Amino acid sequence: MNFRYTMIGAALCIFIFYLGLILSLFYFVGGKGFWEALANPYTLFSIRLSLIAATIATCFAVIIGLPSAYALSRFEFPGKRILDTFLEIPIIMSPIALGASFLVFFNTPLGEFIQNKGIFFVFEVPGIILAQFASIAGLATRLMKASLDEISPRYEAVARSLGSSPWKAFCGITLPLSFKGLLASVVLSWAKAVGEFGATVTLAGAMPGKTETVPIAVFTAIASAKIEKAIVLILILVAFGLLTLYAIRLTGKRYRYD
Amino acid sequence: MINIQGLTILFESFKITDLNINIEEGEFHFLLGPTGSGKTLILESIMGLRKPHKGRIWIGEKEVQNLPPEQREISYVPQDLALFPHLRVKENVLYGIRARNLNLKLYEKYIDDLIEVMRIGHLLERYPVNLSGGEKKRVALLRALGPKPKLLLLDEPLSGLDLSIKTEIQHLLKTLHSSFRPTTLCVTHDFEEAYFLGDGITICIDGRVEQVGRRNDVFRRPKSRKVAQFLGAKNLYKAKVLGREDSLQRVILGVNGLQFYIPKSLSQETLELGTEVHLFIRPEEVMIIREGKPVKDSLKQNIFEGKILDTIDRGRYHMVYFETTEGKIRFEISIPNYAFRNLHLSIGKTVKAALREESLWVIP
Repeated sequence: MNFRYTMIGAALCIFIFYLGLILSLFYFVGGKGFWEALANPYTLFSIRLSLIAATIATCFAVIIGLPSAYALSRFEFPGKRILDTFLEIPIIMSPIALGASFLVFFNTPLGEFIQNKGIFFVFEVPGIILAQFASIAGLATRLMKASLDEISPRYEAVARSLGSSPWKAFCGITLPLSFKGLLASVVLSWAKAVGEFGATVTLAGAMPGKTETVPIAVFTAIASAKIEKAIVLILILVAFGLLTLYAIRLTGKRYRYD
Repeated sequence: MINIQGLTILFESFKITDLNINIEEGEFHFLLGPTGSGKTLILESIMGLRKPHKGRIWIGEKEVQNLPPEQREISYVPQDLALFPHLRVKENVLYGIRARNLNLKLYEKYIDDLIEVMRIGHLLERYPVNLSGGEKKRVALLRALGPKPKLLLLDEPLSGLDLSIKTEIQHLLKTLHSSFRPTTLCVTHDFEEAYFLGDGITICIDGRVEQVGRRNDVFRRPKSRKVAQFLGAKNLYKAKVLGREDSLQRVILGVNGLQFYIPKSLSQETLELGTEVHLFIRPEEVMIIREGKPVKDSLKQNIFEGKILDTIDRGRYHMVYFETTEGKIRFEISIPNYAFRNLHLSIGKTVKAALREESLWVIP
């Protein structure tokens, strides 16, 4: 068999597989329950909640992840390898296990102390943000590190020799040079946060109108045999996903730098 | 004046010990060493990007080894240039002045002069991606010189260029240096580069300084076999001091039973009888004597008859492989093309070679 066609054929198979899956959803679109579900205030609530929680979780992931990514990319320090390995914890661990670990943590004296001092996580909105943060922080750091790795440290070396402080060199040289890559990392992390289910449902529960994000709403709809509602929500997730991919495509166009 | 004292760098497999370099103000100094001898590590340590194990660095009166790079006033042009790709040429050039918050007005004339010497006036609005290799080099040099650094560090500035551009940049560096006299330390593995541009040369091999000197001293009078070999010395022989003629200020060296008369000035050390040394014969200073032509007295001391084993046309000159009849010592002689033709040299021909004083040097 022709080598080239075999390889391209395999790629086409994957494409058809996913496309078929998405198209099959439309088999149920348009029924009475479909439009009702779309207009349902709980549905709108979960969309809003998903977007807000994922955005906040992503912000936290960038605030802590970007400096960490820089440290991993540029410096040598003891424990670097272990730290690097730990970034994969959320990928290795099942999301349910991650959420369950949080539940356990908030039953330890330290966890109880934190909850008693004001912020409630268990079965509350901050729990959603925490769960999403936990599942994307490692990924965001890893992706941002890859973007920073692409920028030669030599640029900063030269900037330093010309009189820039390390902060100035980072903000004026490395950040703009890696900006597109960083942005793509952030968008991808955000999309993963939007789709997060296991850890969120375990830590924050599935209360409609309170802690029910879109993926959780899909699960409860399916569990109670509301197929049309589930499809509406799935399509919303698919739409978010495709928009994200398009955004990454846009950022993927690199400057003609080197 | 730049003074580097006892610089010791231990990094992975590299070990650089007790490096001392002195650079006078306005001097173009070369740190010359084989590829992979840790020259970039040395530059990074001088700049402050890498903490050396030991050592002190003075820039003028200021001791800088504990200062961060931005406070050392040392500009750096890396091998890959690292022009900031998101900034226009003009912004690249002014980067140092802006980063140091210097008054641009005071630098305007100087920068304009530099731009003129570098001939990059027409490139100022471009991005680095739209520059040729030679143009990039010029912009990188200008960017480094912009804030008038106390020391300019160049890492292999002529590597990876086509021959024509290389020559162009080489001449540009020379002009630049004679017009603006920046104190410069340049690392390279290319001796010709160092010879063409350098005032002083420090030769560093296997992490140790082997020789420091003016370029001619280093080239004509290598201190050790290592240096001679690094400089591409071809004809190097084990020799023994057979006799001393103190009245004539010369010694007799024996190589394979053949006797060479060597003026005392050609050795750094007093040559005691029986000492084993190395005799270095410089290929471009050996003369092949035309048959029937009278020979100058100064040449008569070391004339050897021998056979031509092979000749190679090197384009700009001919390399002749010569073997003495007595002692069977082989050496390479490089001869200008016109002389090669005039002498009608061919393989198997018997000729006489005269080793001028300039062609000989004794190394411990």
